[in-house]
Amino acid sequence: MAETIDINQNLKYNIPMLKLKNYSVNEVLENIDVEFEKGKKYIVMGSNGVGKSTLIHSIMGRPDLEVTGELTLDTIDLLEMPVDQRAKAGLFVAFQTPTAIPGLSNFQLMKQALDLKGSELGKKLAEYKDNATALKLPEGWDKRNVNYDASGGEKKKSELIHLKMLDNKVAMLDEPDSGLDVDGIKSLIDTLNDWHNEDNTLIVVTHYEKLIEGINPDAVLVLKRDNVIVGDKTLADTIFSKGFDSV
Amino acid sequence: MYKQLFSYPFLEKQQSKDVYYNLNDLFEYITSDEYISITEEHTDKNIYKELIECYKSNLLFLKDHGLPHNKHEQFNTFNLNKLYNLDILSSNVSKTSSIYDKLDHLATSNKNKVVCIDGDIFTTESINKKSSTALQVLDYIKVRKQRHKEYTRLIEKTGNFSNMTFGATVYPNVLVFPNASKNKFATKPVSISYENSVDDPILETNTNIIDIQYGTHVKLVENVKTTAGQMNYVTYIVREGSTLEIERNTTDAGGWGVFDSRFICHPNSIVKINSSNPGSQYTQENFYFKCSSNVSVELTGRNNIKKGNEYYSFVRVRSADNDNTSKIDIKNIGNEHCKTSFIGKFEVSADSVGFKGSMNNDNLMLSSTAKMNSRPILDIYTKEIECTHGCTISNVDKNQLYYLQSKGFDNKTANSILVESFLC
Repeated sequence: MAETIDINQNLKYNIPMLKLKNYSVNEVLENIDVEFEKGKKYIVMGSNGVGKSTLIHSIMGRPDLEVTGELTLDTIDLLEMPVDQRAKAGLFVAFQTPTAIPGLSNFQLMKQALDLKGSELGKKLAEYKDNATALKLPEGWDKRNVNYDASGGEKKKSELIHLKMLDNKVAMLDEPDSGLDVDGIKSLIDTLNDWHNEDNTLIVVTHYEKLIEGINPDAVLVLKRDNVIVGDKTLADTIFSKGFDSV
Repeated sequence: MYKQLFSYPFLEKQQSKDVYYNLNDLFEYITSDEYISITEEHTDKNIYKELIECYKSNLLFLKDHGLPHNKHEQFNTFNLNKLYNLDILSSNVSKTSSIYDKLDHLATSNKNKVVCIDGDIFTTESINKKSSTALQVLDYIKVRKQRHKEYTRLIEKTGNFSNMTFGATVYPNVLVFPNASKNKFATKPVSISYENSVDDPILETNTNIIDIQYGTHVKLVENVKTTAGQMNYVTYIVREGSTLEIERNTTDAGGWGVFDSRFICHPNSIVKINSSNPGSQYTQENFYFKCSSNVSVELTGRNNIKKGNEYYSFVRVRSADNDNTSKIDIKNIGNEHCKTSFIGKFEVSADSVGFKGSMNNDNLMLSSTAKMNSRPILDIYTKEIECTHGCTISNVDKNQLYYLQSKGFDNKTANSILVESFLC
């Protein structure tokens, strides 16, 4: 078993932002206890099929997932909330395979999502285009259909624009590195570090060493079916050298 | 429906039939020996003989073939029963005042506007000026004789509702877009409205011929509004080297309708149609394309069929000669308790080498109470073609719904966005 650090002791003065207690999802995860704190960055690791994506999407409220236990964001009980209410409460998920919506342009999606937040229209388009350019998305990306006829990397970058512009409290990214090229990984790291601040929480599911290095997480979580092992960055190093069975 | 036939009133209560409860009653009357004899006995001397013969032979054809039935390829059990049970009895005919207000304004308007009401045609003054580049409106085909033979020949005997529509219209109207107008009516499109004069289930009909002369580019904005029953039969002649673009918007105003559109496409012509239709208590929209050579046909239908409405469409493309292309793309949304059907057919003859066709019909069911049918038919007699088809009937994609909800959209808004994006 690897040496782990109880980050909750080190961060005892912080109020848990997102808290899961006796948390079970379908027959995949069972009685998980974990807390994600404000101002911190987390990496979530776990063997294939253990339920990393299930964990993220269950927190977001995907309707087909049956959840029991406790799920709170600050003092808000999320468990009975529909997906959109959870998003409004501050949760954001970047999909591992973002869903295509033919007929809806990237900008229209973002414009309408921001309308819900009362943002100014003029600023939105300029900001959208700036973000797309910074991520080296092709010219005219704003007019293209959401995740349609796009490469895997482009879809991931598009999710990053959503992350930046929607500016939620808790961002959960499901393997955001897959499909990205070398420059894309660098942009991803820069975007995540730029987005993160002392008032929000970043949770990234990944097994990519360079991304973990670039993010420099406050904690690494290894997900098991009925347990979460919490450690610092060295926990990830142990996983890389000895595998999941070693922890 | 109550109108003059050759200066003789017909379809009135003093005739053999007191009332016409439904289409079958009307069919029986206008195909009766008594009625057909009227066409012979009351021939107006001013009416060109060709038209009388054409009208009479149409009635005889109608009598022989009867009204369309479920065994016809373009119909199915889904649709016709409802139509034949519609009550078209005029119980309390009230003229819709808005129509006549509009017509008052029409005369002095400087817009390119045509209004068709129950076989009558009204136009703005500006559109009908005598000039080589002006739109020529040959109202009641009878007033111009030079093209009678050609135009009457074009009113085909088809076996669909066209024969019934013509049978109840008597005089077709002709709109000619002359060659000299070139792009004039593309830069300033012509609006053609099909409306009812009454707010009642009573049937009104229009039979029009629209002639786009060679080398001319025309855009039509067609607005179809049914406050009562309305059957339209329009033949579009798209002559060599011409382009016809149609933007057709149908409004459900409580009535019902059948719209048969026939396109006779001469060599090197282009037809592009964008159509939207919310359905009604009964709507049937049929498109028939007859393509000679090097013709391009593009039909896009975006139909959000409202709660409880019915919408049935049939599209047939007949390719007779070389190098024709056709793209049919119809999308229907099915709300609660609505019914839709699509039947599409490519008929490619042995001489039609190089035909390229794609036929797509996608249906999005928003409710389990909606009923949607789709049937593509490819009837191909040559190997030298490229042809694709795809028809789908699906519910709202749960993954798409969840994706939008995760961005903060509530269920209703997310559904609405998906409906809009589906129709794009």
